[in-house]
Amino acid sequence: MNIEEFNNAIKNNIVSQYTLHDDVDSYGNPNSWIKLTNKNDIEAIAKSVSAYKGRCVVMSVYRNEDGSHMLIYHFDIDGMLINVEVPLASDDKNFISITPILPSANWAEREAREMYNLEPVGHPCKDRLFLDPSMPKGEMAEYISLSKAQVGLSDTDILWNKVNEGIK
Amino acid sequence: MSEKIAIGPFNPELEESVYFKLKADENRIVTDVEIINGFIHRGMEGLVTKKNFMQNLILTERVCSLCSNNHPFTYAMAVEKISGIKIPLRAEALRVVADEVKRVASDMFNLAMLTHLAHTHDLMKETMNIREHMQDLKEVIWGNRMDMSVNILTGTKYDLDEGKIEIILEKLKIVESQVRALQEKYENSEAFKEKTIGVGVLPKEDALSIGVTGPVARGSGINNDVRVIAPYSLYAIRPEIRPNVTLRTEGDVYARAMVRFGDILEAIRIIKDVVADLPEGPTYLEKRPHIPAGEAVVRTEAPRGELIYYLKTDGSQKPERMRWKVPTFTNWEALKVMILGDKVDNVTMILNSIDPCISCTER
Repeated sequence: MNIEEFNNAIKNNIVSQYTLHDDVDSYGNPNSWIKLTNKNDIEAIAKSVSAYKGRCVVMSVYRNEDGSHMLIYHFDIDGMLINVEVPLASDDKNFISITPILPSANWAEREAREMYNLEPVGHPCKDRLFLDPSMPKGEMAEYISLSKAQVGLSDTDILWNKVNEGIK
Repeated sequence: MSEKIAIGPFNPELEESVYFKLKADENRIVTDVEIINGFIHRGMEGLVTKKNFMQNLILTERVCSLCSNNHPFTYAMAVEKISGIKIPLRAEALRVVADEVKRVASDMFNLAMLTHLAHTHDLMKETMNIREHMQDLKEVIWGNRMDMSVNILTGTKYDLDEGKIEIILEKLKIVESQVRALQEKYENSEAFKEKTIGVGVLPKEDALSIGVTGPVARGSGINNDVRVIAPYSLYAIRPEIRPNVTLRTEGDVYARAMVRFGDILEAIRIIKDVVADLPEGPTYLEKRPHIPAGEAVVRTEAPRGELIYYLKTDGSQKPERMRWKVPTFTNWEALKVMILGDKVDNVTMILNSIDPCISCTER
């Protein structure tokens, strides 16, 4: 199994454009990156990973400055790591859950729901994972840190804007 | 007639804070399992973005105590990848020595807990006594019984001389013979086998689907040991030190225990091989690393399985995003398969058999 073979398996099932960057880690292990332009194409990739008896190792999420989110699914097929970037638009909080295809994505997708208030549509489990139900979803973006509020930011409106967001 | 049983979150039979809601039928067979976490979540992934790269070496070592070395090891690898740094060969070797020492101590602790829950206390005491040699070793070489502070960005902060290598080899000689004898006792203990064989079975298909790693995967016949499938550090440079993994097909609590014995003996072999041919040279690079904007995904094999770090940097002194997945994170879901249909009395044994780490899971 190599990334060319995987690329051949996915290319006819992916609707929109994507880029593939074939990389190796510092020790020579394959560590490829796929950047999707259409978030729904993750489903086709998950099906191919499943067909190769691969697994979802985990998913990373980060929030961009414009409020949009990036999901990065990390898949493993026989030791080959495939990282797939799934961009979400700034007003988009939904993504297709791949847990029905790859149960190994279960907790990672639920954690994205709790920490970033993103909804994995079609995820079989609605239960909270870590945070108490009294805590709001989207924890990673909810509060302003004391260090940010105190250090070098006194002449900006960052704190006031944050408070205003809460009032709205 | 059915009954509801609550176990945890803080329960004398349970080693960690997690909450189980079980339903059982009149034969005390579990018919439904619900696992509730979240009692010790610390928000560490948020915290690491508020600390600089040096501070995060200290913080990552405190994610968990039993695999405390793996976290800064993997984190350092991620930073070094983004920085384009190749650390000295001696440092690669020293990192592996420390990691395998931790593996022996961690696996032995799990076996001790297992025998405690199986009420085979002679085995438990003996397991802990042997483990104590490894704790002594950590104290002598690294000055601490849990957090060893081995890793720095660009290498290691400890070194081994002939005297220390002799101490390591002497300890390992004792431990190895005692572990071999202990494994025979486990294999011959009817009381232990009765409580573990055929208990908490995880079939291979379920293990593949859920994506379990480490001894849980190997106990169900799946080898996804990172040291073998995607070797890193000295495992990549010197293929001969990679572990000969123990694979079992039964998928039960007993199989997972025997896999850990295999892991322990291989770890001892690896340490001996590495210190016997320790590369010469420095243990770290003098120059502080420049950490540009970038991202990296790296992984290592912790005692419980695959540990993966995602790091994104923006050229500043702090990570823009850092994310890690610990083995237990995926192993939890496997518990539902293992527990369902088994006896209520076996639940804590089954739980222990995945060697759960809640402090790792609830970062």
